[in-house]
Amino acid sequence: MTTVKLESSDEKTYEVEKEIACMSVTIKNMLEDIGETDAAIPLPNVTSSILEKVLEYCKHHHEHPSPQQDEKKDEKRLDDIPPYDRDFCKVDQPTLFELILAANYLDIKPLLDVTCKTVANMIRGKTPEEIRKIFNIKNDFTPEEEEQIRKENEWCEDKGN
Amino acid sequence: MASQVTRSVKLDEIWPELEDGIYTIITDFNKGFPKQKWMQLYTHVYNYCAASQSRTTRGLTSKQQQQQQSQSSGASFVGEELYNRLNHFLKKHMKDLLKSTESKMDESLLNYYYTEWDRYTSSMKYTNNIFQYLNRHWVKREVEDGKKEVYEIFILSLVVWRDFLFTPLKARLTSSLLDIIENERNGYQINTQLVKGVINGYVNLGLNKEKPKETNLQVYKTSFEELFQTATENYYTNESLKFISENSIADYMKKVEIRLNEEVKRVQQYLHPSTEADLIARCEKVLIEKHVEVIWNEFQSLLENDKISDLTRMYSLLSRIPRGLDPLRATLEKHVQTVGLQAVSSLASSGAAIEPKTYIETLLKVFKKYNDLVTGAFRSDTGFVASLDKACRRFINENAVTQAAKSTSKSPELLARFTDFLLKKSSNNPEESEMEQLLGDVMTIFKYIEDKDVFQDFYSKMLAKRLIHGTSTSEDLEGTMIGKLKSTCGYEYTSKLQRMFTDISLSRDLLERFNSHIEQNGNGVTLGMDFSVMVLATGSWPLQPPNTNFSIPKELQVCEQLFQNFYQHQYSGRKLNWLHHLSKGELKTKYLPTSKKGYTLQCSTYQIGVLLQFNSYDTLSTEEIQESTQLIDSVLKVTLTSLTKSKILLADPPLEEDDISKSTSFSLNKQFKNKKNKIFINVPVLTQVKEEIDSIHKTVEEDRKLQIQAAIVRIMKTRKQLNHQNLLSEVIQQLQTRFNPKVNIIKKCIDMLIEKEYLQRVENQKDFYAYVA
Repeated sequence: MTTVKLESSDEKTYEVEKEIACMSVTIKNMLEDIGETDAAIPLPNVTSSILEKVLEYCKHHHEHPSPQQDEKKDEKRLDDIPPYDRDFCKVDQPTLFELILAANYLDIKPLLDVTCKTVANMIRGKTPEEIRKIFNIKNDFTPEEEEQIRKENEWCEDKGN
Repeated sequence: MASQVTRSVKLDEIWPELEDGIYTIITDFNKGFPKQKWMQLYTHVYNYCAASQSRTTRGLTSKQQQQQQSQSSGASFVGEELYNRLNHFLKKHMKDLLKSTESKMDESLLNYYYTEWDRYTSSMKYTNNIFQYLNRHWVKREVEDGKKEVYEIFILSLVVWRDFLFTPLKARLTSSLLDIIENERNGYQINTQLVKGVINGYVNLGLNKEKPKETNLQVYKTSFEELFQTATENYYTNESLKFISENSIADYMKKVEIRLNEEVKRVQQYLHPSTEADLIARCEKVLIEKHVEVIWNEFQSLLENDKISDLTRMYSLLSRIPRGLDPLRATLEKHVQTVGLQAVSSLASSGAAIEPKTYIETLLKVFKKYNDLVTGAFRSDTGFVASLDKACRRFINENAVTQAAKSTSKSPELLARFTDFLLKKSSNNPEESEMEQLLGDVMTIFKYIEDKDVFQDFYSKMLAKRLIHGTSTSEDLEGTMIGKLKSTCGYEYTSKLQRMFTDISLSRDLLERFNSHIEQNGNGVTLGMDFSVMVLATGSWPLQPPNTNFSIPKELQVCEQLFQNFYQHQYSGRKLNWLHHLSKGELKTKYLPTSKKGYTLQCSTYQIGVLLQFNSYDTLSTEEIQESTQLIDSVLKVTLTSLTKSKILLADPPLEEDDISKSTSFSLNKQFKNKKNKIFINVPVLTQVKEEIDSIHKTVEEDRKLQIQAAIVRIMKTRKQLNHQNLLSEVIQQLQTRFNPKVNIIKKCIDMLIEKEYLQRVENQKDFYAYVA
């Protein structure tokens, strides 16, 4: 069993099974290009706390491979998050966003999907005011602008739920 | 939003490092590339694309934001500038490469091109991975929005190569390739690996505009293949003209075969597989089709000299081109026919009587020779098989021997005799193991015989003799032969033959029953001799009634009477005719002082009839013998002659040239001596055979008339009305498998049927017949 070393932005090193590390397409590509050396792989965009979470996720899914999903069947459902993943995403907002960024950077599609779905579920069925509250966003529309947008998007109001 | 990633990244800050990295990869990748550096470059691309996104949106007012979003239909991705810089960088690299090729020619050009291509494509795969984030987001979005000029980075690198290096270079490249291939055709070793590598490059540059990830053969076809095909045609046009003028056709064919194999190998070695079909077609055209006349002209002489391997080669070459074999078939047909006729002629010209065995062997030899050629060299090509068949049919049915006999029925007759020779018990019989093969040979010739009915008649006559006289080699072989005839000609053809066999076995049972009947109910009557009888159905056996009266000697009468009674009792209403001329028996001599044991004489029934008279008289005159036997003159004469010649009887005065007068007196030769104990008294048969043949021909003629009439009636019954010509052709078609009906006989038969009122002429219409129901 070959392992690779990953180094977080705060210079902590993690030794990981190669197969687990290669769930990140970025790492996989790099290893294919460079070949294997002992040197640690620096991940300047990922902090150790997030990297640990990411590795936890990868490890779990490496050990419990989910049944092969049809790429085509992937029809953007929001309610199909498996229990482990749902629990995994029960973290504070900043961590969740960091995870999204890390998944995007490392190109780990399942993790990116599940974190994004979690955020989508947070928005679903909420009014703009509620959403602003959740994500701490300042309303920078004037009332006229807001009325204008509401009018333009009337067609989707009913289907919102 | 996304407050954690707020580092704003300007392109100018990262580009120098990226450019430097890519340059290292392109030029020096083999020396190794640290992971850290790779990750750094990837992160730069990521940071630029991901962070710029937030920067751009942040700087805009909400209205501008709205506008921008509606323009790019959704979230905007940043990357265009980075993409352009890379594009520009690659183009510049191409210019550098192009410059370095200026001084290079031929193989050194190919070498340079291939090395650079190889290096470039592999380093671009790495670069593609480093720019993966750009591919995943900005490029993907642009492509989805329908921008034709934006590609994934790897594809981009190929496009740049194609447009800025390959296109200006391709004329020189291709001509170098063609030169090097010509060198190989001229017999020089070339670096096939290099050629293959460059040509693969052509294939890989065939980018599919609609589906950039798949390649098509566009570039390969237009920039290389077309020119290559033309060059090939020119090369072989010149070579073949020169070669043919300096060498024999046989050598030329060898050359062509080698060349064609070489070209196939060439495709496998370094060209695209799709080229093969067209390339070979063009080679065939130039190498074979253009010279087809000269090749055809050589065929006859190859046949005459039995050049099997050249013929094989010629077949395989000519079979490649359309209609390449057509003229050969006719030539072969003519040749085989000539050879066959010559073989028979030389046999006939020796003057001796034609032995069935040598005749059939002569025919077979010719057939086998050319059958081997057709199945071997010509791979059983149907056209050639047909030619062989036609030729064989002609020379087998009509040749010097049949012409001498003035009858096309000579061949079936000789074939039947040959078969009889095989199946009749004799010391010359071939080994059992060869028999199957020999009977197969008989069938080979039989297949070509036109007058199969004549064969049938002769065959059944001879079979009858073999069965009656018990002279068959083996019943199994007889069965085998009949099976073969049946499978060729059908049930009807052999049904009579089959029934003959049935009669023989029925007779065996009958005889057994008769013997036990005599034992049980004979009231002490014994036959006093061994008796055996065959009861044969008149319809199935080609036997003729005796041509003489005969009064059976009283010694045999009892036996005959007992059997007659027995049989009539069992099958009342059946009529028994005794065919004494086909019967035979054995007599034991007791009158000779020279041998105590006595001799056993094997004689015909007529001879027995004569000899038994001498139990009562010492001397008898011709007249007296005739009176008691009732034999007619000719038969009596033959019988007496045979007995005199075998020295059983003495004639007084001695016979001269078979001249027997009524007063000649005969007596037993008491001084008779012979080395053998069992003596077969010959009956001269020569005259009989000739009569037999004539009678067979006569019956064949009669049978044919009946068959033709039957066919006409069958046809007219279904057609109701038919004109003369169509009727003729239908009759011929129906009967062809048996014999070739002659037109004048068919006409005669039509007239006969009109007379018998089966048919009538249709009024006012010339040559039109109608069926009379």
